[in-house]
Amino acid sequence: MTPTTSAVPILELRSITKSYGSVTACDAVDLRVDAGEIHGLLGENGAGKSSLMKVLLGLVRRDAGTVLVRGEEVALDSPQEAAELGIGMVHQHFSLINALTVWENVALGDTGKVNKQAICAGIAEVSARYGLPIDPEARVDALSAGERQRVEVVKCLRRNPQILILDEPTSVLTQAESQELFAVLGRVVQEEGRAVILISHKLAEIAQATDRVTVLRKGRVAFRAVTAETTPQLLARQMVGREVSLGDEGAALGLLPVQRAGADGGEARERQQPVLRLAGLTVVQGGVRVLDDIDLTVGAGEIVALYGVEGNGQAMLGDVLSGLVVPTDGTIEVAGSRVDVTRPGVLSKAGLGIVPEDRHHSGVVLDMSVAENLTMKSLNEVSGRFLVRRRAMLAQARRLADEFNIVTPSLDAPVRSLSGGNQQRVVLARELSGHTRVLVAAQPTHGLDVGAIEDMYARLRRAAAEGIGVLLISTELEEVMALATWIAVISSGQITGALPVSDATPERLGMLVGGEAA
Amino acid sequence: MSVLDSTTTILSSGVRLTVPLAFAACGEYLAQRAGAMNISVEAMMLGAAFTSVATASATGSATAGLVVGVVTGLVLGFVHGNLSHRAQINTFVVGLVLNALVLGLTSYLITTQQFTSHQVGVLSIPLLQDIPLIGEPLFSGRWPAYLLILLVPLTWWLVTRSRWGLELRAVGENPQAADVAGIKVNARRRQALLWCGAMAGLGGAYLAVGEVGSFNQNMTAGRGYIVIAAVIFGAWRLGRTLIGCMVFGLSDAMRLALPALGVTLNPQLLVAAPYLLALIAMLLFASQHREPAALGRPFQRGST
Repeated sequence: MTPTTSAVPILELRSITKSYGSVTACDAVDLRVDAGEIHGLLGENGAGKSSLMKVLLGLVRRDAGTVLVRGEEVALDSPQEAAELGIGMVHQHFSLINALTVWENVALGDTGKVNKQAICAGIAEVSARYGLPIDPEARVDALSAGERQRVEVVKCLRRNPQILILDEPTSVLTQAESQELFAVLGRVVQEEGRAVILISHKLAEIAQATDRVTVLRKGRVAFRAVTAETTPQLLARQMVGREVSLGDEGAALGLLPVQRAGADGGEARERQQPVLRLAGLTVVQGGVRVLDDIDLTVGAGEIVALYGVEGNGQAMLGDVLSGLVVPTDGTIEVAGSRVDVTRPGVLSKAGLGIVPEDRHHSGVVLDMSVAENLTMKSLNEVSGRFLVRRRAMLAQARRLADEFNIVTPSLDAPVRSLSGGNQQRVVLARELSGHTRVLVAAQPTHGLDVGAIEDMYARLRRAAAEGIGVLLISTELEEVMALATWIAVISSGQITGALPVSDATPERLGMLVGGEAA
Repeated sequence: MSVLDSTTTILSSGVRLTVPLAFAACGEYLAQRAGAMNISVEAMMLGAAFTSVATASATGSATAGLVVGVVTGLVLGFVHGNLSHRAQINTFVVGLVLNALVLGLTSYLITTQQFTSHQVGVLSIPLLQDIPLIGEPLFSGRWPAYLLILLVPLTWWLVTRSRWGLELRAVGENPQAADVAGIKVNARRRQALLWCGAMAGLGGAYLAVGEVGSFNQNMTAGRGYIVIAAVIFGAWRLGRTLIGCMVFGLSDAMRLALPALGVTLNPQLLVAAPYLLALIAMLLFASQHREPAALGRPFQRGST
């Protein structure tokens, strides 16, 4: 797949700059995309990929720089203008409206009269052409993640865009669904001469699917190359800006295979004394068994990973273990005694700490101070019957902040003012303080940069070494392989299998993730 | 009075009390589908009732009063929309302030003025009005009541069939996604509030220059809240919302009629009946999550 390098590229960005307040998201970024190529855009969180694409879609206005489409300078002031220029995006989040039907969603953003017949016919035509079957009358909330992605792709292609942008398109897809998507993209560029920009942080994906690749780092272009002439290792180095030395970092960036450090790496260890035992845990919501008869045991000092594609019940399990949702059926045992989860706060009292999936939602109170957040779950220790003993609170907070290297201007600063990595450390520090026996870490490295990921891994390992049972809920295979001693796989709310990490080949896990016994 | 006659009387009264609710409900339904929780529908109705009576008194034309009532509703919708969905002030606070303001203002102004009474004409449909039981209630009303025949289907069509309505629903369900699709979220909500203002204004004006012919202090007496309750009762469907209006209108009519018919029942209890019904309906529907997902939630671009 050699891109035809025509004289005039279909899209050219020249020194695009975009700042939000004092933060420069894009700093004089150049990008050139030719017709008939899949162009990879690689970068860490916060490297400026999303901002660049928002500029391109007319969602935000650039501060400086020029955009040329087919050699002609364009303003790109509105999403409508971007659409007219033939720039379309397959969004990952916030793009489909659950309460509307497929055809209504597809019609959104069109102009003129709503003609249901014509829209449905258009959907049928695009579905047939690319082999992406969907029912236009179905309500979106009845569709699976893969089907929703299909709707997104059809919605985008129906507008006949010349430039397609896909933002992390495979993060919620199974392996098979990803392959289907890349097959469609291949046809789109090769047979129809469109251009595709594929945004991803998965190196394997970039290497497999793209023709050329541009690497962004801290808002600047760090590297550009023809994909075939580069290696994942080289790309990873360019993305991070230094040699990827630790297995952890490589894992976080999607470099397989990962060799675990330490003597216990490859072998399945004997199961330890259980500190967390879930038995028959079931949650029925709206007639759907979101969690279906979950049996799971975490021993003291073990890291057990619950692996699976996003949206298979992990979020619900996190909510149950946070005490936010009362299970329909089943029991939870912490440190050998059964916990009555109908009352708030009992899980934490029993010694279960949790790093929730969405730290802003249920992890920290953003507008309260670092000290208040750190002591929130141990108020008895820092307060009398009525009043908070401020000195005791600050002392405890200071101790935790030092122990966990929380970088904050002051203990009285609101948590909002901290970086994502430090916010996550606040959560972790609080949950590990006191007499924690079990730590549940749900997607603990989501949205963190490589340094913070490395730190998180080290702390989870240390917690396990201190005898705490760690349940790691993760969708990142590499993360799971790097940390866990046992891996349980969840699919459609059921545990489809559990195996020691030494037996866990990507193939076997892939089968389990797809809901098949392996 | 025969049973048939008294039934007809109650039905007539029920229809007359339902019509203002139905107008306003068409507006509130559309606004809520766009995610705009419009508490100030009470202010819109009360304000329109006052200005319509004042205009009718000044011009001698009840129809002019009706028109000015609609304009009053539009103005309040404009104010509410711009405060809530441009200046991003909490929409509930805006609504409560507007309700208190209009109540205070009209209560004061009515003491400073003497208005002459004007009422729009009755339009009786020949033959149909002679149908026993329902003929008089349905086919012998004040003429603006018949506008419902036009406005109810129009509201339904706008929400469920037009592009504008599709965009409104998208904005009410998921403003972020609507924004990504290039829909101006807050503009749509302001537009929805204008429609709501016009309809609530028509309802309020109909109550004043249509049914009563004069203005008295706090004459809407919480009908705006009843309209909100009707939309909830109707689980955000127009048909069921109008059924809700009818239930509330009829229970109001019973309250007025029963003492006259010699039935002794605690009137306070009957005053509370519509609200009790709304509460029960909310309890029944609460678990179904039917409400527009972004109802009452402000939207600001760039934040999620």
